[in-house]
Amino acid sequence: MLDSLKHFARESWLLVVASVLCGLLLAATNAALGPRIEVNKALKLTSLAGGLLPSAQAFVPLSSPVEVKGLDGKTESAVVFKATADDTVVGWVFKVVGSGFADKIELVVAADASFSKLVGYDVVSSSETPGFGDQIKDAYYRNQFTGAPVGQLSLVGLGAAKEQDIDSTIVAISGATISSTAVVQAMNHYLPQLKDQLQQKGLIGHGNNP
Amino acid sequence: MATTPDGQNVYAEAVATGLWREIPVFRMLLGTCPTLAVTAAIKPALTMGLCVIFVLVCSNIMVSLMRKGLRPHVRILLFTLTIATFVTIADLFLRAYQPVMSEALGPYVPLIIVNCVIIWRAEARASNSGVLLSIVDGLAMGVGFTIALCVLATIREVLGTGCLFEIPVLPKAFPAWAAMGMPVGAFLTFGLVLGFINYVSRKRS
Repeated sequence: MLDSLKHFARESWLLVVASVLCGLLLAATNAALGPRIEVNKALKLTSLAGGLLPSAQAFVPLSSPVEVKGLDGKTESAVVFKATADDTVVGWVFKVVGSGFADKIELVVAADASFSKLVGYDVVSSSETPGFGDQIKDAYYRNQFTGAPVGQLSLVGLGAAKEQDIDSTIVAISGATISSTAVVQAMNHYLPQLKDQLQQKGLIGHGNNP
Repeated sequence: MATTPDGQNVYAEAVATGLWREIPVFRMLLGTCPTLAVTAAIKPALTMGLCVIFVLVCSNIMVSLMRKGLRPHVRILLFTLTIATFVTIADLFLRAYQPVMSEALGPYVPLIIVNCVIIWRAEARASNSGVLLSIVDGLAMGVGFTIALCVLATIREVLGTGCLFEIPVLPKAFPAWAAMGMPVGAFLTFGLVLGFINYVSRKRS
């Protein structure tokens, strides 16, 4: 037993030492650059949000945290911005994460001031297949969400509904069902929770009026 | 000063190997995946080249320092650990200071981990050479790789968009060849440049 341990230590000490050193190096780098990366992400988020809500003059992050359950069931802190123009709320912007074909899909979603209708969404980051899944970035798919009611969206195959209809039915991208589903699933999962949280905080009304 | 068996200075030999004799992309045909993917324009090509230089030099230093303790069955593990660490640092740096370029390069920066040029130099040079020679080797190979990327990217960007570094260099009358920015342009340019390099090599020998 002791001989085995000695043999193990002799053969693998360098790997153990190198692993610790590399881990420390990565931790230090992440600690040094992490805040800047987060700032870059927030800047990108607000820049995309500006495209979704052009009337907004400022995007103010909520002062109190909004706790939601992620797709994996774990509680997480949602990124929510209040879009304002002349001190009036013109909409809400938040980030949702879907489980795509290749990796996570991060979306920035905008809802109207009463949180009853979607204004639209844009893709913050995704690694979906070019030509197929990455069509979630294309206007023809994204435009289906504009004006759709906040609630349970349903995904249907091509031909089952018209893409230009403004309703809760979203027509999937042909050949990219997983990516299409990821977007709809993320919206269905996060939106009711966010609406509920904002209502509890008294930031939006309980009906369709702000 | 150390010399090779044929009497050449080892540092000069390392530089000549990296920049011409075994230039990774054109002579060894290594690292062709990022070569084809990031050479649609010169900026991403240059960024990728600089990342590879950083990772090559740092991993060569680490492997050279560890060379006396390397055991056969953990050797590849140690190389991969070292390379993955420096690639992650390069990726974090790009995300912090060059977010647009980081996004343009997409998965190709993390994929440097599996770039055979890096592990090739760790195995062939750094694991049996001193630190200084490993640094020179890493620099030469990295610069050789970057030059190859930039040559391809220059041709593709100029013919594909009429610009270089996004600055117009061809007259407006020149019709941009959109195919040069697509995979077909990458393969075509790569093949033609390879043919030219082989032609020059044969002439020289």
